[in-house]
Amino acid sequence: MKRTGKLCIVLAFVTVAVHAQIINPEPLSQRLTDYILDVRLNTESKTVSGSMEAFWVNFTSEEVPDVRLHMYMNAFRNRNSTFYRESGGSPGSRAIDRGWIDIISFTDREGNDLLPEAKYISPDDGNPDDSTVLQVILPEPVKPGDTVFINVEFETKLPSSIRRTGYTDDFYFVAQWFPKFGVYEPAGMRERTESGWNCHQFHRNSEFYANHSVYDVKITVPEDYVVGSGGMFLNETVADAEGNKTLTIRAEDIVDFAWTAWPGYSVYTDKWNHVNITLLLPEVRKDQVERQFVAVKNALEYLTENVGPFPWPHLTFVDPPTIGSGAGGMEYTTLFTSASANRMPECLHMPEMVTVHEFGHSYFMGILATNEFEEPWMDEGINSFWEARIMDHYWGENSGLIDHPLLKVPDKSYSRLSYVRSDNRQLASNDEYSWNYPRGTYGMMSYHKATTWLYTLMGIVGEETINEIFKEYYKRWAFRHPCTSDFIEVVNDIVIKIHGDKFGPDMNWFFDQVLYGTGICDYKVNSFRNIELRDDEVNNSGKDSLNLTAESDSTEKTPGDEELQYRSIVQVERAGEVMLPVDILVHFENGNEVTETWDGLARYMDYTYEGKGKVEWVKIDPEYKLRMDVNFINNSLTADPDRVPVRNIMNKLMSAIEFCLSCITL
Amino acid sequence: MKFFKALVSGAIRSIKAYKGVIIIWFVYLLFVSMLTIPLKGSLKAGFGSSMITELLKNGINIEVFSDLEVHLESMTSYLSSGILFLLFLTILMNAFLGGGLFNSLKGGDTNLTVSEFFRSSARYFWSFLVVTVLVSLMMIFLGIFIIGIPFGIAFGGSNSPGTSSFPILFIGIIIYLIVLLSLLLVADYARAWLVTREKLSCFKALGFGFSRTFGFYLSSFPMMLILVVIIMLFAWLSMRLIGLWIPATGAGALLLFIVSQVLFFGKLLLKAWRYGSVSALMEMHPLKPAKEEEG
Repeated sequence: MKRTGKLCIVLAFVTVAVHAQIINPEPLSQRLTDYILDVRLNTESKTVSGSMEAFWVNFTSEEVPDVRLHMYMNAFRNRNSTFYRESGGSPGSRAIDRGWIDIISFTDREGNDLLPEAKYISPDDGNPDDSTVLQVILPEPVKPGDTVFINVEFETKLPSSIRRTGYTDDFYFVAQWFPKFGVYEPAGMRERTESGWNCHQFHRNSEFYANHSVYDVKITVPEDYVVGSGGMFLNETVADAEGNKTLTIRAEDIVDFAWTAWPGYSVYTDKWNHVNITLLLPEVRKDQVERQFVAVKNALEYLTENVGPFPWPHLTFVDPPTIGSGAGGMEYTTLFTSASANRMPECLHMPEMVTVHEFGHSYFMGILATNEFEEPWMDEGINSFWEARIMDHYWGENSGLIDHPLLKVPDKSYSRLSYVRSDNRQLASNDEYSWNYPRGTYGMMSYHKATTWLYTLMGIVGEETINEIFKEYYKRWAFRHPCTSDFIEVVNDIVIKIHGDKFGPDMNWFFDQVLYGTGICDYKVNSFRNIELRDDEVNNSGKDSLNLTAESDSTEKTPGDEELQYRSIVQVERAGEVMLPVDILVHFENGNEVTETWDGLARYMDYTYEGKGKVEWVKIDPEYKLRMDVNFINNSLTADPDRVPVRNIMNKLMSAIEFCLSCITL
Repeated sequence: MKFFKALVSGAIRSIKAYKGVIIIWFVYLLFVSMLTIPLKGSLKAGFGSSMITELLKNGINIEVFSDLEVHLESMTSYLSSGILFLLFLTILMNAFLGGGLFNSLKGGDTNLTVSEFFRSSARYFWSFLVVTVLVSLMMIFLGIFIIGIPFGIAFGGSNSPGTSSFPILFIGIIIYLIVLLSLLLVADYARAWLVTREKLSCFKALGFGFSRTFGFYLSSFPMMLILVVIIMLFAWLSMRLIGLWIPATGAGALLLFIVSQVLFFGKLLLKAWRYGSVSALMEMHPLKPAKEEEG
């Protein structure tokens, strides 16, 4: 099973190098793991069975005594698995509903049986009924530079009622279906203090963390099935006389390999620069083909421009039929699933949003292979931030999600509201393992809170700086495994490079509050008042006992001017715990304006102005850049509120109710 | 073509019955104001002296509304329960004032005073209410049978190669619209018949409604189709105009209010046209009780 010395590693890399010529001239990643799979789909028993040859290269400087493999499909074996304990569901009462993966044989390269040394472990929760991580103790530890080869015969039973993976009738989405190596992390990598396998159980909310690998896959299916996968189709041959075909597929440098099969798929193709795009969807949704391609091409363009190149020449995505809707909205780097419905109105951009989001995972988790189990915000949060930017950029700043004359909803609003309006927004920080989030908060925290504070960061440092940060993040960490501190380091470097010490020696103060903290952000204008000054007071004008006296053109006193003089006092407040620098715009009745920059640290701040103009209105964060602010209504105060918009809305509501009631009644 | 004559006659009758339409419009305004005026007050209180309303200039902004927090929750709760209550009230009001309106639309009796309007409203209230409730229930149940159940069954097999549930939905909707128009005719004939009777019997009236609808289907249905298309088109255009109109000043907002109420008055006038046309068509044929006609 293992070889000492350089021979194996050389052989391994020779193998890799030979394969590498097929898609990319140069390997994109280290390719520490490699899989050769030959499997058959049995549509009667709903199983995928076959063989797997795989290897893992010990690229560390220490000996490793075991290997660990994800056996995800066992999450659907019984209701006591960690997956079902967390989700509160059950695999279904019928045997055909359940899913599992059985190892038939497990040998090393020499044919030695390793099964006696294999056992299921539960490193996350000690759950004895969970069998989603297999540990195999090796006869001898793997020395640095050595390679572990394994040959596995396995049978995977797919669960019914798609839960990320499985079947419904003759629709199959086959994901998390084969024994897959965990990631061995040496001390120092991703802030680890001790070396070890990072191989988590299958949890309700996370499944991705793996080495970039090469997959050579042969899949045998009935000949009327249309197959889509994350690899490139190399050829198709007749498998047997029973009406089956075998597809040969290769994928390089991706973190997971999934595929789908259904006789009802229609296949459409398009191209964006070097990328050949394939779309599989039910024929009844052919009217959505154009919008799906537009969405994925927009995402490709935007992310290429602002983050980094999409390195693969192929991309497949699937809009699953209604019967397989449970497979919608998932990502496998070069294969992803969108989600839609038949005859989706053009004004609802839900299919586009899902397509853009799931494609975005090709970058955030695929190329920048973060650990979704441990740092879900780096996967879903960063990706949702880019999804919102792309949607609002291409489909309208105020209509990225819904674009109807009577209602427009930007994508970024959806994220902000999901966070700021949540009752649980302060229960946890973003620094949690996915399964440790309090019940019902995972999505809000890992997707929406992270998106909202990334927008806030963009509001503080600027859009160009954010783009530079992500370009640098891609440059440093593409096809590696960055963690939170790596991202923060990039932010600190780029912000200092572009803005110097404008925001301090680093941006840690920001992340300490928004990422590691649970506080909320709420800045408000408390009050302003204008005091008419007597002549003797005017003469004494200047700095007074209050915090600050700001002066501007509007406040200058002209000698001999007989106009009234005022002292205006504006009070702003930090109502939340989060402290961020914020702008304050003060408008005087004579049309003059003063912009103050407040560091936002104190609980409140008074600004005093003296001059001919009374303060008419005040806005804190006038451009709503701090999107973490949980209440924008208290961001401004005026002496003369504009009631017209409210009257318009109420007039329209009144008419709508009248017309509706008149139509409903006979 | 009798229904053209009936349409012309109905139009004239509805214009002559303008007082009744004004009363109905005013009651609508009163009822809806009961709901919207407190809502407006609550909205104003929620926004206080904030300038956030500038983000509402182009219409609803969900972020702004969402930031109303507890105000929004109470408004939503008030609006949802208020609309249900208002619907109930409107059904009663329609049954009540419908009697007066139908009475003022019948031939030869066009100069009904306001007191006579209310007197006849009171006289026919219960009969009209029963007719309204029964026909409405028929509409709901037939909707479930014609659209809901077939679509629900077909939806399970949706997306299998070559099949789609949407043609079934489309056909279901077409059939239901035909049924809906027919039931409207039944309700209108029944109510038009009731106001000509001394002795009130809502079940006989319904019987008459069915017999008239299907006995004179070729003249009744096209007339109702034309009327409903015009009314719905008018309602749609009105809502479109109101929805897209964005006044920038207080005077503009007042003008929007006035125009929207004028348009709603027009909608009620068109409904009166429908009632008048059905009454006129009924009078063009010998007016006999349903039982006699069937006999």
